[in-house]
Amino acid sequence: MKKRLYSILAILLVAGLLLGACTPKEPVAEPVVEQPVEQPVEKPVEEPAKTFKVGLVTDVGVVDDKNFNQATWEGVVAAQEELGFEAKYIETKDAKDYDANIQLFVDEGFDVIVTVGFALGEATINAAKANPGVAFIGVDQFQGEEVPGVAGLIFDEALSGVLAGVLAANLTESKTIAAVLGTDLVPPVVNYNRGYVGGAKWVDPEIDVISTYHPGGMDVAFTDPEWGASTAKQAIEQGADIVFAAAGNTGNGALIETAQHEGLFCIGVDTDQWLTVPEAHKCLISSATKDITLSVVELIKLAYEGKFPAGNYVGGSSLAPFHDFESMVTDEIREKLKEALEAYNAGKIELPDK
Amino acid sequence: MEELTPSQNNWLKKVWFSLRIPFLAIIFALLVGAIILLVSGANPLEAYWQLFKGAFGSLRNFQRVLEKSTPLIFAGLAVALGFKAGLFNIGAQGQLLLGALMAGFVGFSLKGLPPYIHIPLGLLTGLLTGALFAGIPGLLRAYSGAHEVISTIMLNYVAINLSDYFSEGPWKDRSPGNIVSRLPAIQPSAEIPNIGPVPVGFIVAVLTALLIWFVINRTTFGFEINSVGLNPHASKYAGMRTKLLIVAAMVVSGALAGVGGAVETMGVVGRFQPGFNTGLGFDGITVALLARNNPIAVILSSLFLGAMKGGANTMQFYANVPNEIIDIIQGTMLLFVTAEMVIRWIFKLRKQQGTEITVTSGWGQR
Repeated sequence: MKKRLYSILAILLVAGLLLGACTPKEPVAEPVVEQPVEQPVEKPVEEPAKTFKVGLVTDVGVVDDKNFNQATWEGVVAAQEELGFEAKYIETKDAKDYDANIQLFVDEGFDVIVTVGFALGEATINAAKANPGVAFIGVDQFQGEEVPGVAGLIFDEALSGVLAGVLAANLTESKTIAAVLGTDLVPPVVNYNRGYVGGAKWVDPEIDVISTYHPGGMDVAFTDPEWGASTAKQAIEQGADIVFAAAGNTGNGALIETAQHEGLFCIGVDTDQWLTVPEAHKCLISSATKDITLSVVELIKLAYEGKFPAGNYVGGSSLAPFHDFESMVTDEIREKLKEALEAYNAGKIELPDK
Repeated sequence: MEELTPSQNNWLKKVWFSLRIPFLAIIFALLVGAIILLVSGANPLEAYWQLFKGAFGSLRNFQRVLEKSTPLIFAGLAVALGFKAGLFNIGAQGQLLLGALMAGFVGFSLKGLPPYIHIPLGLLTGLLTGALFAGIPGLLRAYSGAHEVISTIMLNYVAINLSDYFSEGPWKDRSPGNIVSRLPAIQPSAEIPNIGPVPVGFIVAVLTALLIWFVINRTTFGFEINSVGLNPHASKYAGMRTKLLIVAAMVVSGALAGVGGAVETMGVVGRFQPGFNTGLGFDGITVALLARNNPIAVILSSLFLGAMKGGANTMQFYANVPNEIIDIIQGTMLLFVTAEMVIRWIFKLRKQQGTEITVTSGWGQR
């Protein structure tokens, strides 16, 4: 009997919860939902600063992850400083909240919503289809087909690799250069190497490139600095005087190892590694980078001007600043790098398959 | 907690006696959360108000609360049933994961089935997967004495790696443009629908909780499970087949977790993808402890946790509060529920006969 009373009470509580939730709250409680601004195209100069809003949804993780989330948010902030709009981010905690987090920005009438990471691709496309007039920037989201309102920001690692290869080919004295690479299971890593080899051979076909991929699987290839160091050492013993490391933390091992040898150069990857691996300052001439931050700024500007593109948007690839080695990189080399960029865009640099 | 002493005939008082610890733990955890919010410079009232609005401010939000509560009910029931038999099933996460995986496989690979066959088939697959996978630690416990805490923790890793393997290997979504590990989307015929804002999966979860309540309190099997949990030696003397009961309890517990995973795949996510079921089985432990292993109370504590999870992003968005605060509140709550002594001491509550629960037997008691 008592048990029954207890369970009846429990059921009543559930019912109460359900009913309580279904009855509309006081109108004050509802957030004031602004109508999404259709397109900021027609009225550019007259106070667009007040109506333009940019939101960012992170992948599962935090906004200051020293990685994609952070680089993207820095882009939003840089564009904000230039154009003066409202910017806000939300950190995703549960992968099931992608849609709900995007929806929060849609409900508040944001003009541009940046979503970070391939995992948000589906949610981004669905939101774009449901909300025409909102510009979605999908960082690292390759677009299989063009969806109006979605620009997938992707990067051409081969181009970064070409620039690194051209730089290396111009600096080498032994005519032997090396690449220490993460696994060939990851296409971007392979593309870095294809560009590196292609760029070097474009400068001088006689140059010997020692490229070594990590033999382990996904789980160790990027987290094995010891292997990176010993592989770099081997290559140096074989005469290489420049080491390009495209292997995450494994690559950091290669950079640090190269710094132990007098007069050698090393090249980092993805971001300016001068800032992330200070131990390699002695050799780090530059890094083959993806300009996430800059590309995000570009895309936000395009949206601001009402020229937002759809489909894949290939972000910039470049070499990081030369820092202490500015004087080593002669005008001649800089000229050659520019030339390489043009040649690559014209399809005149031949890339190996792997 | 149903065994109340007959002298106390005021049932309201009894309900209070059985609910007071979880209730006070929740209040206390919210207070601790408020202090942390205050210290970090946020307005706790504003934060909690946004949290509440995020959970119940609109039908859409409320639907998310129900979606988030659903797997918690299943996982909570799985853990609670284990506790009843004196077993600590930390493996609910792994059982749920494999249930979700197999339901995802059945969901995408079988084509042309009508929904009224495809959906039950998917649920049944999840159920059997969870049951079989939990049977392993059950058998180990019953016949070799290997403690289920250790074996289920280890089997969780087996489940994670198995599901990663299938998501990256043989069952990977090979559609053009996809680069992440995941299974293809399930067929529309395998999608569990919603009735208005109420997911059918939630209704199934509530009905399951009622069924488990009935089984535990009204059947011989439930009585035997309870007895084994309270005193395995006495149960054995009374002629119960304790080893078989331990295996059975684990199997049913795993089946519940497995169905939870299947409902998640077929009702919410729409495919199996690693990373989408993180922590659900472990939240089941919080749910079960908060509900003090009562299946009906499991529904309530799941709704409570689900509301916090559902409202968290709105709280973050409008009150600018990092949503980790939810984890802090949940952790504090768990701490106070398990450390009843602390609550008793703080509020000077008298100990009451019959409300004690045996969470699990200690090391080497059997």
